[in-house]
Amino acid sequence: MEDTIVRYVSRIILPFVQLYGLYVVLHGHLSPGGGFSGGTIIGASMILYALSFNLAAGSKKLSHDVSSILESTGALIFAGMGLISLLLGANFLANRIAGFPLGTPGNIFSSGSIVIITFGVGIKVASTMITLFFSLIEEEHSHEHH
Amino acid sequence: MSITEIVLRLHANSYYFFAILLFIIGFHTMLTHNNLIKKVIGMNIMDTAIFLLFVAIGYVRGGRSPILEPGVDHVFINPLPTALILTGIVVAVSVTAYALSLIIKLYKHYGTIDAEEIMRIRGGGSL
Amino acid sequence: MNLSQHLPALIIVVPLFFAFVMPLLARWCKQWCVPTTLGAIIFSFGAAVKMTFQVMNTGPFSYYMGNWPPPWGIELSIDYLTVFAALTINGVGLLIIWYGSKDLLHELKSEVIGWYYTLYLLLMASMTGIVITNDIFNMFVFFEICAIASCGIISIKESRDCIEAAFKYLVLSVLGSGAFLLAIALLYMVTGHLNFTFMAEALPDAMVLYPKNLLVALGLLVVGLGVKAALFPLHAWLPDAHSSAPSPSSAVLSALVIKVYAVAMIRLLYLVFPRELLGMTPVMEMILWMATLAIIIGSMFAIVQDDIKKMLAYSSIAQIGYVFLGVGLMSESALVGGILHIFNHATMKSLLFLVAGAFIYGTGARKLSELKGIGHTMPIPTIAFCIGAFSMVGIPITSGFISKWYLALGALDVGRPFFTAVILISSLLNGIYYLPIVVNAFFSKPEEAVKEPKQLPRQMLVPLTLLSIGVIFFGIFPSLILGIVYRAAQLLLGL
Repeated sequence: MEDTIVRYVSRIILPFVQLYGLYVVLHGHLSPGGGFSGGTIIGASMILYALSFNLAAGSKKLSHDVSSILESTGALIFAGMGLISLLLGANFLANRIAGFPLGTPGNIFSSGSIVIITFGVGIKVASTMITLFFSLIEEEHSHEHH
Repeated sequence: MSITEIVLRLHANSYYFFAILLFIIGFHTMLTHNNLIKKVIGMNIMDTAIFLLFVAIGYVRGGRSPILEPGVDHVFINPLPTALILTGIVVAVSVTAYALSLIIKLYKHYGTIDAEEIMRIRGGGSL
Repeated sequence: MNLSQHLPALIIVVPLFFAFVMPLLARWCKQWCVPTTLGAIIFSFGAAVKMTFQVMNTGPFSYYMGNWPPPWGIELSIDYLTVFAALTINGVGLLIIWYGSKDLLHELKSEVIGWYYTLYLLLMASMTGIVITNDIFNMFVFFEICAIASCGIISIKESRDCIEAAFKYLVLSVLGSGAFLLAIALLYMVTGHLNFTFMAEALPDAMVLYPKNLLVALGLLVVGLGVKAALFPLHAWLPDAHSSAPSPSSAVLSALVIKVYAVAMIRLLYLVFPRELLGMTPVMEMILWMATLAIIIGSMFAIVQDDIKKMLAYSSIAQIGYVFLGVGLMSESALVGGILHIFNHATMKSLLFLVAGAFIYGTGARKLSELKGIGHTMPIPTIAFCIGAFSMVGIPITSGFISKWYLALGALDVGRPFFTAVILISSLLNGIYYLPIVVNAFFSKPEEAVKEPKQLPRQMLVPLTLLSIGVIFFGIFPSLILGIVYRAAQLLLGL
């Protein structure tokens, strides 16, 4: 896959794709979208990078160690927020009742724990997408070597 | 029931009708194709059909997505089925990824992704 | 913060949490994988025990996720049946993974063992979730986690048979969940609720207006859950999946995973669907006949098997039939027998699969013809196998006898002695395939393969011993669990 046009175009659009993904993740509580949709966009941007440049470069940008840490971190943020609610004396995953400030609707820092949970989900989904892609494609490659 | 009535009822319930149609297409693909990847595609079409049916339950004609704006009053669709189906989609994605990785492994062991061929190599049994 | 108040959530969250910690541990500090897994499951087991006492003393209670009361939020309901199932799952699951911590070392490649614990914890969390949730969509999500995790613990072995079996299981599981999701859609359409309690309240009215909708939903539910629980004509995936997997996986799949779907079916049929709807259709009658066929045909298939694990897998098809027999008869004693059999079969089938694993570990042989005379060289596992086999046949003083006794009584209660006869015939069939193994193990000359077995490590022997003691103990003192099972049956039947 040594196509100059693809490389050039993807180099231009990649930052915008990632920024858009981040936007969708962070505005999950305000507009359609959220952790899953935004995370998929970010993950897809990394896949695009790996496809238009090459796999080695792609896995160098985000090594397996890092992506597996991110995967666990994302899920642990979710569970952690739930446990924090417990510590604050409310039920698991409680939001307002546990004392998270709701803020004004329409601001990014509103809706209490949801914004953090969405962020965790975004990290988890993005890294999972990348891991899925790389493990599928590496499986294929290792097969060709045999 | 006259033909016009049937057509009108179909039109009123078109989401459900097409959901069932899609479901049948997906199920048919899954049952009749030997290619394992096509089976997975059929599985996905079937899932999509169920998602369409589920989301259609919550749809209100002329409604829009339930985002509150101060001072503006709208007819909203029911957001609950949509939210549920988002979860369903996530599940479908992970199942698909897992199924595809299993197919890659099968290909590694048998050198083919044709169910019948695999059955033949294995000698008996079914997949 | 009062910890005991939050146990219903923590019993699911703690294994889930450590499931995600596990990949990190597997990468950097491998020696911590086993203790963490055991710790998490011990916590869940402790929580289940604590909740059992709570339920027995103060009655059923529920927990609102995020303080959202139903119908808005997810409700976890702790009643007699759910707490009983949670106790079974975590207790037996703990013993299986304790055994597995040694057995897996020789069955799996060392780099995937950490992932096995992740999958196992996910499986435990999702199974506990399935039984204690009171929200149908939440149940569906747990179904999917459970399906992927249970396929994962099969395919992790990466042999040809395992991958194939896992693929078959996955596809059929997805079909089952698809049917279940469709049923949820139809139920939500007419009731507007996802919470069991609220659905049950709305259904009698909805039944008059939209009977067809509900009938289709009922059919889809039974088929969807039937596929996952391997109810007879829908069992095609089970023998391969359960026999090719690593032994601890086979044990957990056969002993627990198919049972949680049975529990889900019991809760949906008895607590959600109005009795009149069940009376309108012969659904219970159909379940009854499917169960009967499962019992007879599963046993017959088991007789002709030569592979020990395949035989046990076919025997599971027959045994899940007993549970559904109890469900279908709709009398108190039969339901007690069915629910009790969930626990009894969990203990004895996990015991048998673990012994089969021990035989394979010790000798490498898995053909019944090669295992003759193994009683001389591996006495403790063989005695454990005998206890499990006697319990399967239903010989008194073993726990299998108790559940069969109640099932037979229940069949007589509703005036259908035919099903009592089915239970007797199946005991005979069970005898035909279990007893020769026992006889051959002790009374024939050791075959070449079993002459010099590897010594079993203590981590494998202790769970086997505990499980066999459990089988005998609950056969002699069944009243310990009968109390809670009786109350569960009475709650379900609305007595």
